[in-house]
Amino acid sequence: MAVSVTASTILSLSSDRTTRLAAAAASSSSSSCSKLSSSTSLRFPAQLRRVRIGTQDSRPRLLPRVEAKKQTFSSFQDLLATSEKPVLVDFYATWCGPCQFMAPILNEVSITLNDKIQVVKIDTEKYPSIADKYNIQALPTFIIFKDGEPFDRFEGAMTADQLVERIETTLKVK
Amino acid sequence: MTLQLQAPSFAASISSFVSPLNRSTRRPVIRAKAEPSDKSVEIMRKFSEQYARKSGTYFCVDKGVTSVVIKGLADHKDSLGAPLCPCRHYDDKPAEAGQGFWNCPCVPMRERKECHCMLFLTPDNDFAGPEQAISLEEIRESTANM
Repeated sequence: MAVSVTASTILSLSSDRTTRLAAAAASSSSSSCSKLSSSTSLRFPAQLRRVRIGTQDSRPRLLPRVEAKKQTFSSFQDLLATSEKPVLVDFYATWCGPCQFMAPILNEVSITLNDKIQVVKIDTEKYPSIADKYNIQALPTFIIFKDGEPFDRFEGAMTADQLVERIETTLKVK
Repeated sequence: MTLQLQAPSFAASISSFVSPLNRSTRRPVIRAKAEPSDKSVEIMRKFSEQYARKSGTYFCVDKGVTSVVIKGLADHKDSLGAPLCPCRHYDDKPAEAGQGFWNCPCVPMRERKECHCMLFLTPDNDFAGPEQAISLEEIRESTANM
């Protein structure tokens, strides 16, 4: 039940129906879905008793872990709310070819635009409710969130240059 | 454990929050990416080659994309009985598989040669390669890290 963050700070949601997410900065590759933290299951803070199934709006809680690089978010909404930068969300699926094609490109763009945008990946099969909420149909779909709200939205695979251009053009319009 | 004892209704009402013990035995299932059966992969591989030839389309210059999509089709064939497009998000997969619009080859592909999975690419597409064939070995190698 964890979200892992690569060296270029990509957050990846690949766990199921829990409102606890943990983000970990790791210096290895971006195929981070498998790097689920093994110790999140041991941490059930008291606030979780108020959690209800099917709701993303549990009381937000930031739970700093002992390891310096990890962060825990109680929901996707919390992640959006606490992000200081605009957030690029990649809605993907495991067996979607273009989505896997975009993985290294997202890595690269995340490094290039590190100060401008936060990159987050959401596995639509593990988080169908989030995908439904934003009416995701074709994969990959990219949504740029500003101030917690969708600001721009586009689909399909593209080159790193095209993606950077799209992001920069979008963020210029304020 | 403590959580369950203190608030049993909590544990009952939130099925996804089981005890840490259950979670740790569940976790491998959640983490593991299901692999489609070899038989289905072979069926979808053959289908892809035939359909590319028939439609005059080509595989992606990056065969990894082709491999992932073929495995995705095989995975849906295993779980749903039909090769539902793996590059879409669905409310109700079995219903969609029964309805058929998005079963490969999907209606947009059949009508307009539009394949957003990048499996069948028209020659003018930037990502189109020169090949209409892919071997099982290529598929295995490309998806070995998944």
